[in-house]
Amino acid sequence: MSCIEGKNLSKSYGSMKAVDDIVLSVKSGQVFGFLGPNGAGKSTTIKLLTTLVSPSEGSLTILGIDAIKHPLAIRHKIGVVLQQPSYEPTLTVEKSLEKYGMMWNVSKNECKKRMEVLLRDFDLIDIRKKRNEDLSIGQRRRVQVAREFMHDMELLFLDEPTVGLDPSARRKLLDFLKNKVKTGLTIFYTTHNLSEAEYLCDEIAIIDKGRILTVDSPDALKKRFGKEKTIKIHLLEKQPIVVSLLSRIPECVVDLDNGTTITIHSEQSELVLLQVLKILSENKIEIEDLSAVPTNLEEIFLKVVRDNASNN
Amino acid sequence: MHPIIRLVNRNLTISINPGFLIWQVIFPLIYIFVAGFAYTSLIQQVPFGSKSLDYPSFLASGMIGFNIMNSTLVSGIIIWNDRRHGMFEQIMSGPFTRAHYILSNIATIGIVGLVSASLIALVGYPVFFESVDFTFITIPVIVFAAIAGSVLFGSIASIISTRLRSSEGFNVIINTVFLFFAFVSTAFYPAEGAPEPLKTFFYLNPLTYLVDIIRAGIFGNITEFVIVEMIILASLSSVLFVVATKLLTRLDF
Ligand SMILES: Nc1ncnc2c1ncn2[C@@H]1O[C@H](COP(=O)(O)OP(=O)(O)OP(=O)(O)O)[C@@H](O)[C@H]1O
Ligand SMILES: [Mg+2]
Repeated sequence: MSCIEGKNLSKSYGSMKAVDDIVLSVKSGQVFGFLGPNGAGKSTTIKLLTTLVSPSEGSLTILGIDAIKHPLAIRHKIGVVLQQPSYEPTLTVEKSLEKYGMMWNVSKNECKKRMEVLLRDFDLIDIRKKRNEDLSIGQRRRVQVAREFMHDMELLFLDEPTVGLDPSARRKLLDFLKNKVKTGLTIFYTTHNLSEAEYLCDEIAIIDKGRILTVDSPDALKKRFGKEKTIKIHLLEKQPIVVSLLSRIPECVVDLDNGTTITIHSEQSELVLLQVLKILSENKIEIEDLSAVPTNLEEIFLKVVRDNASNN
Repeated sequence: MHPIIRLVNRNLTISINPGFLIWQVIFPLIYIFVAGFAYTSLIQQVPFGSKSLDYPSFLASGMIGFNIMNSTLVSGIIIWNDRRHGMFEQIMSGPFTRAHYILSNIATIGIVGLVSASLIALVGYPVFFESVDFTFITIPVIVFAAIAGSVLFGSIASIISTRLRSSEGFNVIINTVFLFFAFVSTAFYPAEGAPEPLKTFFYLNPLTYLVDIIRAGIFGNITEFVIVEMIILASLSSVLFVVATKLLTRLDF
């Protein structure tokens, strides 16, 4: 079953289209990753999907409910952790969890039970009596994410939940989320962190300038875009002529930053590398260091966004 | 539980703290018992309609209106804090509508205002009981004034809180506005006998109308002028309420 169905969704702010005619289909029981650079339209999309803002155009169904006609019915069934912090400054950590449960109409006993579990799962036991305003940024973020699990939901939206978390808290959260998905939760997850997306997501959409550029599983993305590799060569000294020498090689893109680092993108990396080495030795250009960067999601992300920019 | 009750529960939890209680209850009581009696040697009698009141009972009745105005600050502070700390968006992405949010704020003001005004009336009662003149007309008049006043000042506080984002701006403006309301009104001194420009300023101030009506209700002195004041108070609070609701429903994320 599909739990998010968006067709031709757009959201304009004045003449600027923050979200531009996107089509979304998210299946139940998976983690759907939404990747994109700053200002791409990720948060705006989350605000559309959570009915916080209404679309300028298009249709949207969440959990089978029409989002434009029945936003409140949808909000009863979803959880949202927005990108911006949200907290009650004067409440303690445990009080804010409890009150949040109360706001969601969770019974007092159930609130107490869930609170204890979440305090443990999110490593909040030591700071349970601290007021939110006295917490560190990462602690506050952990409380904000934990709080959302005080109530039941079918679909959870997380807008960059791991920003500010240390690596171990980050990993703990990702594992916590993975376990929740096993029990049937669907998660819509935005991030710029590619390794995180690779670890967590079943499907990934890459968005830039309000448009979805591609949607696929992480593995399929790697297969599709992974042929391209990045070769980096550090020269011993500045050689401005190198670019013109290397640009004779077909099927590759060559950059020379700061005069000593050559970056080559190519789908035929092995062949290109041989030719590069040949040209460099013919011209007696000395190399300090050479590396071929393995394909990862980050490279794919950069490539997709770069191609989109050059197409415009 | 109804969503509005849940939001009121939360509102009361976040706003009731020692600092607020001092501001809300202790402060007016200090006014009544310290300033009220300290000034008695200077002000023996305050003429009021056909009666004359002693200063402590004049001041105590004024403090009830003053207190209702102060309670409405709660709503302004809640709205402003919710926006500043991201809770407004968080609540709006949960099982609530803007109407729930607005109504819960009004209910919160109502509760805080009613409880603290009753508390002050109760503690202040020995001060003004000699002159009290309740009838079956005057009590509804007091309740009317309390509700209209809550809505009016609650709307003003909401309007300010939706227009301002910086904490300095909010505090400075709200304190200045409410300080002006408090001291350029009939809460502390009667309009009769005040020098001319000041007297006019008193009647540009909604707190004057609120205080006059409550005082008339407590001391049983509902004149034609008080009825005009009731009409003005009701109209003004309706207009401001509509404006505040409009601004709040238009708040963007
Ligand atoms: N309320 C608003 N009014 C005007 N423009 C807005 C508003 N909200 C977002 N935008 C614009 O819409 C575009 C998309 O913003 P959005 O917050 O969705 O980006 P994002 O992908 O979440 O970026 P980031 O990674 O920085 O969080 C940006 O150019 C932003 O300036
Ligand atoms: Mg964002």
